[in-house]
Amino acid sequence: MQAKYALMSWFTFTWQNFLFSFLALAFEGLPFVLVGSLISGAIAAFVPSKIITGILPKNGLLATLASGLLGLCFPVCECGIVPVVRRLINKGLPVSCGVTFMLASPIVNPIVAFSTFAAFRGQAPWLNMWTRLVLGYLVAVVAGLTVRQFKPESILRKDAVKIPARKRLAFSISPLPDAAMNGFEATFPQKLIAAVRMACDDFIDTAIYFMIGAAVAATFNTAVDQQIILPLALEPTLSTVSMMAIALVLTLCSTSDAFIAATFVSFPIFARMAFMVFGPMFDLKLFFLYSVLFKKRFVIGLGIGLFVLIGIICSRLLIYVYAGQAL
Amino acid sequence: MRAKLFNLVNGITLIGVGAVLLDFFFTGRLDQYLHPQFRPWTLVAGVIFCVVGIVYAAAKTNARCCIDGEECVHQNANSPVRAVVAFCVLFLPLAAGVALSKDSYDQHAVLNRGFVQDITKLPSRSGSPTARTQNDQVIPPQALGADMDERASEPLPQDTASSQPGPDAAANGATGQANPAVSLPDDGSSQYLPKAADGNVALEVTDLLYAESEDSLRKMFADKTIEVIGQYLPGSDAKQFKLVRMFIVCCAADARPLAVPVEVSGPMTVTEMGWVKVVGKATFTQKGDRSHVVLQADKVESTDPPAEAMLY
Repeated sequence: MQAKYALMSWFTFTWQNFLFSFLALAFEGLPFVLVGSLISGAIAAFVPSKIITGILPKNGLLATLASGLLGLCFPVCECGIVPVVRRLINKGLPVSCGVTFMLASPIVNPIVAFSTFAAFRGQAPWLNMWTRLVLGYLVAVVAGLTVRQFKPESILRKDAVKIPARKRLAFSISPLPDAAMNGFEATFPQKLIAAVRMACDDFIDTAIYFMIGAAVAATFNTAVDQQIILPLALEPTLSTVSMMAIALVLTLCSTSDAFIAATFVSFPIFARMAFMVFGPMFDLKLFFLYSVLFKKRFVIGLGIGLFVLIGIICSRLLIYVYAGQAL
Repeated sequence: MRAKLFNLVNGITLIGVGAVLLDFFFTGRLDQYLHPQFRPWTLVAGVIFCVVGIVYAAAKTNARCCIDGEECVHQNANSPVRAVVAFCVLFLPLAAGVALSKDSYDQHAVLNRGFVQDITKLPSRSGSPTARTQNDQVIPPQALGADMDERASEPLPQDTASSQPGPDAAANGATGQANPAVSLPDDGSSQYLPKAADGNVALEVTDLLYAESEDSLRKMFADKTIEVIGQYLPGSDAKQFKLVRMFIVCCAADARPLAVPVEVSGPMTVTEMGWVKVVGKATFTQKGDRSHVVLQADKVESTDPPAEAMLY
């Protein structure tokens, strides 16, 4: 009886509170997921891969640095980035550039910048937006430069240079193919319809994860006794690790995760920043998506490396960035 | 045929999502969920969802879109499992929300989140209470002395006659609870205070909470009969309760409860979290280095929810 009381005291679920919080998150985030999907579909239908590869410098180091900024021109969320990178590597893009682009693009892009700014409205939005973009870029470049030290064949799956024959995951994101760019001359209306279809497929796949994430966040925010969370939230390392673990499980889209992060008001801002930087780079969904392109050993190492690097930066260094901010 | 069927299901899912967004927007229910700045996005998204849903459902399923000499990787788009799960995860919860959501939190959620202790630390565009927007605070900046010249040249249309100090002003000062500052004479800024239909000063919960840290506000409020609307949260005994409003930055998910303690003469019959109008006087008790407001209620009555249930 005592155990039952204790259980109920830390978790009290009511449909009224859950629905109210869940719907609010859905109404706020779905338009952003939609915008990201529409742009993603447009890029897929109208922008050939050679344009992306053509604007990179020839020097390997500079190309890696520049790859981290490609998302500014080609905003693709993390769900849609893996097929793009796979296609670009197929066309000769260095793996280090591909990894940098893959990790940075979901964060360093105008849609995510805008959604982060909007979500943190009233909570130093400019500072949070720029911190997220800069941190995301730096971490992606570090990862890309690290990958430069490895031979591509030790990282990539043997069948990665071709479309893997393995059965695709039920909810893996639709890729962004060079639609109608190679040998297939489509008219503009055909391209437009293809863009809409691909955007819708992207949206459906992404929004499923978003809705699940919103449901978890709504449950967390309304049913779990916030007093229990406080000890986790008060300690820098614990709060940062906790938020990254939550990001790993929630598998949110980077276009809308800031709205979820902004609701975790019990946690310090640097822990929520860790959530927003680590989540778009690595989560459960991405583990499976990355495995389509990279060897499992590399994917696991990438996840651990990102977890440690982002955790240290956020829990040890960002404190100074946010010094004086009442967040 | 099967591909066409699941294509149709996906299209219906998208149209359904759009229809729910539009329903919440046009019925006004969305006002309870989102900050005004986000509401137009919902309208636009709802329209786009409907349009692309129709296009998706009507498009040929065998349209070639992955033509670059490689295997088309869109076959999962016609997966029956995917279509059914998308319908169940995307549309059904939103549709359930249309029918089941009460568009508000209950008492448990309010207590679980904890009341904001210091309103000046709430996230906002500006830390200054005089620069706030929308309906979060009804006191115009001029009344706080933000721009004395402007105040002098163009007073707001108010019933200044009814803003004279009431007969209970001295009594408030005599209670020993009021801040000593309230006994200072009115500097004329009270002409800017908004008035209710019955002549009382109409305030928001946020105004009273800001007054805890704003001496000029305490001076204005202390001798006035004020009227505040909020949600009723029972207290530890029948002679007190909390008047609650929810403050949001973006959406209801980040809502934080604000509360003003209210003291009444006897028990009341008000439903928990029901909307009430409290008419009375604000008293300020000094504890440590800051004041704490308590609303001494003369009258408490049930009322309709305000047009904007949330404060921003």
